[in-house]
Amino acid sequence: MSQLILLAVVNGLIVGAFYALMAIGLSLIMSLSDVINFAHGGFLAVGAYLAYSMTPYVGFWGGLLIAPVLTAGLGLLVEKVLISRVYGRDPLYSLLLTFGLAFIFEDVTRYIWGAQGLPYQVPGWLMSPLSLSLFFLTGYRVFMMALIMVVVGALFWLMTRTRLGLRIRAGTLDLETVSILGVNVRVLRNLNFGIGIYLAGLAGVLAAGQLGLQPTIGDSLIMPSFIAIIIGGLGSLTGTLLGGLMIGVASGLATVFVPSASEAVMYVMMAVVLLVRPQGLLGEEGRF
Amino acid sequence: MTSALTARGLQTYYGKSHILHGVSLEVPEGKITTILGRNGAGKSTTLRSLVGLTPAREGAITIFGKETTHLPPYAIAEMGVGFVPEGRKIFANLTVEENLKVPVERPGSWTIATIFDLFPRLKERRNNKGRQLSGGEQEMLSIARALLLNPKLMILDEPSQGLAPLIVREVFRIITQMRAEGITVLLVEQNVRMSLEVADQVYVLNDGQVAYAGSAADLRADEALLQSLAGVSAEKWEIE
Ligand SMILES: Nc1ncnc2c1ncn2[C@@H]1O[C@H](COP(=O)(O)OP(=O)(O)O)[C@@H](O)[C@H]1O
Ligand SMILES: [Mg+2]
Repeated sequence: MSQLILLAVVNGLIVGAFYALMAIGLSLIMSLSDVINFAHGGFLAVGAYLAYSMTPYVGFWGGLLIAPVLTAGLGLLVEKVLISRVYGRDPLYSLLLTFGLAFIFEDVTRYIWGAQGLPYQVPGWLMSPLSLSLFFLTGYRVFMMALIMVVVGALFWLMTRTRLGLRIRAGTLDLETVSILGVNVRVLRNLNFGIGIYLAGLAGVLAAGQLGLQPTIGDSLIMPSFIAIIIGGLGSLTGTLLGGLMIGVASGLATVFVPSASEAVMYVMMAVVLLVRPQGLLGEEGRF
Repeated sequence: MTSALTARGLQTYYGKSHILHGVSLEVPEGKITTILGRNGAGKSTTLRSLVGLTPAREGAITIFGKETTHLPPYAIAEMGVGFVPEGRKIFANLTVEENLKVPVERPGSWTIATIFDLFPRLKERRNNKGRQLSGGEQEMLSIARALLLNPKLMILDEPSQGLAPLIVREVFRIITQMRAEGITVLLVEQNVRMSLEVADQVYVLNDGQVAYAGSAADLRADEALLQSLAGVSAEKWEIE
């Protein structure tokens, strides 16, 4: 039994880390650009498929390194050419635009790589369990968790120790004042979008190693990511990380005890948080 | 006398409301120019037009001999135009030191270290969040932040608003010090007495138009004129 609970918690933490990775990117974009990026899951799929296509040439590690960067590059382009045009307009515009983009990404990946699932090769030594008693804990899962935590740590560093990060945080509060201090806010929003999309691309590559490839690979992550943001508090990176891990573990545990409620549980948690603390767990401190 | 900034015939709108009706200004280099006028006269809107936040729909602005009418705010700031906005607008979610890292670095004598020399209080509070500062400290931070651009022209919107008299005095001392260091100053104020004391040139705005332009010394000496200009406005400015 305790083994079963441990399994559920570990699974939950891993899934939760993915939610957090997606949610942090969404939250960055939402806070600085006031755009709810429904195409986020599409970018995740692009990252996964790019890694798949380049792996034969650059290997697993090369793909892990390069694919998220290329995805971020695509993000910079999409923001500059399309999304930046709807800034400051009625939210309906960005909603329709990113929704449309999500469909385009899905269809284009389906067109290029096919609708059927594809396997994604992870180095064999990463796939073996760490020990017999912890048979479910493969090296890859530990590696994923560790990498996600390192990347989130690097993001925290960026946001608190670099001028770029400080300007992004300042911009979430008052973009106008950032601009009169000599900062080009178009470029700032563009880079911020790229950072968010990098995280989505990375999530895509990592998820591919665990789940294989599907054009819809990002779909199951997007709703929980929004919930993670709401639970953690919009604008709080720590809160969003915590929110993602919490709903991951909660739904993991529910899978063991009340399987039918494994998805409902995160909505219930969201409802409770909204009732008790509408600004989210760590939302009070304001933004970031 | 060369001018750091020239504005001609500014017409500025917020959506459909027409706020500035042909405002023209001349800000002489190395001097303090002050804009006075009652609440709602269009002082802040004028400054917002000058720094590119609310571009004028008609008219022309030249700063340091370069046409800036349609430039975005960051490009105007990069030319060496510092702006201390109304209400200070410090970043409440960042610490004092983090606030000071937001402006772009333009070469010059102002660095975070020299700022901390001028504002020891900010150094003491360097790790406090913006929201934890008093009004006076926030004003100092807002001025310090703009100074880090190493501006040649500094534009301030009611820096003394809501501050205790002692701190108001300190703010005006810093403004005169800026002029002593060769920075051109454009100052919007409600505190008529103190701004006339430090200013060289004065403009009075009323209903989005220039009602008076002249030397501060003349206006200081002419109490009747000052009273009549105050009378132009519905409510009196505070002439202490
Ligand atoms: N964002 C805005 N939208 C619409 N009207 C505004 C806005 N800001 C200011 N106004 C109006 O413009 C006029 C001038 O305001 P402002 O320039 O702030 O005056 P002042 O700084 O002299 O007090 C006022 O009538 C004010 O109501
Ligand atoms: Mg004003």
